[in-house]
Amino acid sequence: MPKFERIKFKPIPVRDLLLELKNLSELMVDLAYSAALFNDAELAEDVLALENRIDTLEYLLEMEMMIAAQGNPKDAETLIGVAKVAEATDKISDAAADIAAIVTRKIGVHPIVGAVFEKVEKRVSKILVQKNSPLVDMQIEMLDLQAKAGIDIIAVRRNKTWIIDPKKWGHLMAGDILIIRGPSSRIKDFKVMAEGRNGGTLV
Amino acid sequence: MTNHNDFNLIASSLVELKDTSELMMDLAYSSLLLNSRELAEEVLRLEEYVDNLHTSFEMLALKSNFSKEEASGFLGLIRLGVAAEKIADAAADMAEVVLRGIEPHPVLKLAIKAAEETVAQACVTTNSPLLNSTVKDACIQERTGMTLLAIKRGEKCIRPKPELVIKEGDVLIVSGYVQGVSGLKQLASPDDNCIGE
Repeated sequence: MPKFERIKFKPIPVRDLLLELKNLSELMVDLAYSAALFNDAELAEDVLALENRIDTLEYLLEMEMMIAAQGNPKDAETLIGVAKVAEATDKISDAAADIAAIVTRKIGVHPIVGAVFEKVEKRVSKILVQKNSPLVDMQIEMLDLQAKAGIDIIAVRRNKTWIIDPKKWGHLMAGDILIIRGPSSRIKDFKVMAEGRNGGTLV
Repeated sequence: MTNHNDFNLIASSLVELKDTSELMMDLAYSSLLLNSRELAEEVLRLEEYVDNLHTSFEMLALKSNFSKEEASGFLGLIRLGVAAEKIADAAADMAEVVLRGIEPHPVLKLAIKAAEETVAQACVTTNSPLLNSTVKDACIQERTGMTLLAIKRGEKCIRPKPELVIKEGDVLIVSGYVQGVSGLKQLASPDDNCIGE
């Protein structure tokens, strides 16, 4: 039985709640597919943990809605759209949790899936940072990968733990395992760089 | 054992399911951002397509002669399909808000615009280098990092096929990291004189 905590109202702007719901639900989907693809139980557990965060955000958002409507039917009519979108992000995170559960329940996915993911437009990939890579000692935020390469580092594995959404978090080190997402053409170039095979040119 | 051909079919159905469900999410957010019925209707059309695709994917998986050892792996496949379908459903729920004529609350637009992965639109003007080039030659992904989701041409919403020619007045609907948006707008409307932005 999971532990359910009472969620106390906190005055967080609706925009911030929605933003985090959107970002987090999409991150969870990508992480969940990664967990399934790499059959990684720990990463799958992390996805399930994020599900709690989504539930909390959704509760807080609905409370904000109730306060904002203030008995005004017109306001309620426009705000219902916001609530529906928030519910939809919750459903997306549920789907991500379902994918993660395939791994945590040891069902596993047929190896065919590896071949599947080679073909998808937006891919997730697992990459090891080698000693001679120009990425070593670089701060993830400074790399500005999203703008320069159209890819994003969504998780880093170091010292046997996963760091989720590591953007603001620090420097890369040799031996880090990165999960990145982006178009497959860009992923190939990034891989070359992470493995230090291009003589150290950055992006 | 499942034969190679069946595998390929099952694999490509699953790819299509995953890609379409994610496309639907992006289109649904776009429909909210632009309060666009056309885009919302496209999401619902895709939802129906996904429902059919999902059924045929499950049939393919069940009909393939997988071995007892493969059963668990096939269950995993089926569940991946169910999850993709659920994501498609969620996208349809969002599009429904637009189709019910609820003007999306400004806070929705603010949040979508500020998200890490965002959606945006840009109108193609006379002096755009994209004008009269095919979707394939336009290389929008390479030039801006943004993915072209759909083109709004008048009242119609067109899915971009590689050979489709980009015309003046086309509204490009794209998704990608927020950093790519300004590049896309620059490329589509260099003088920023598009009406209806």
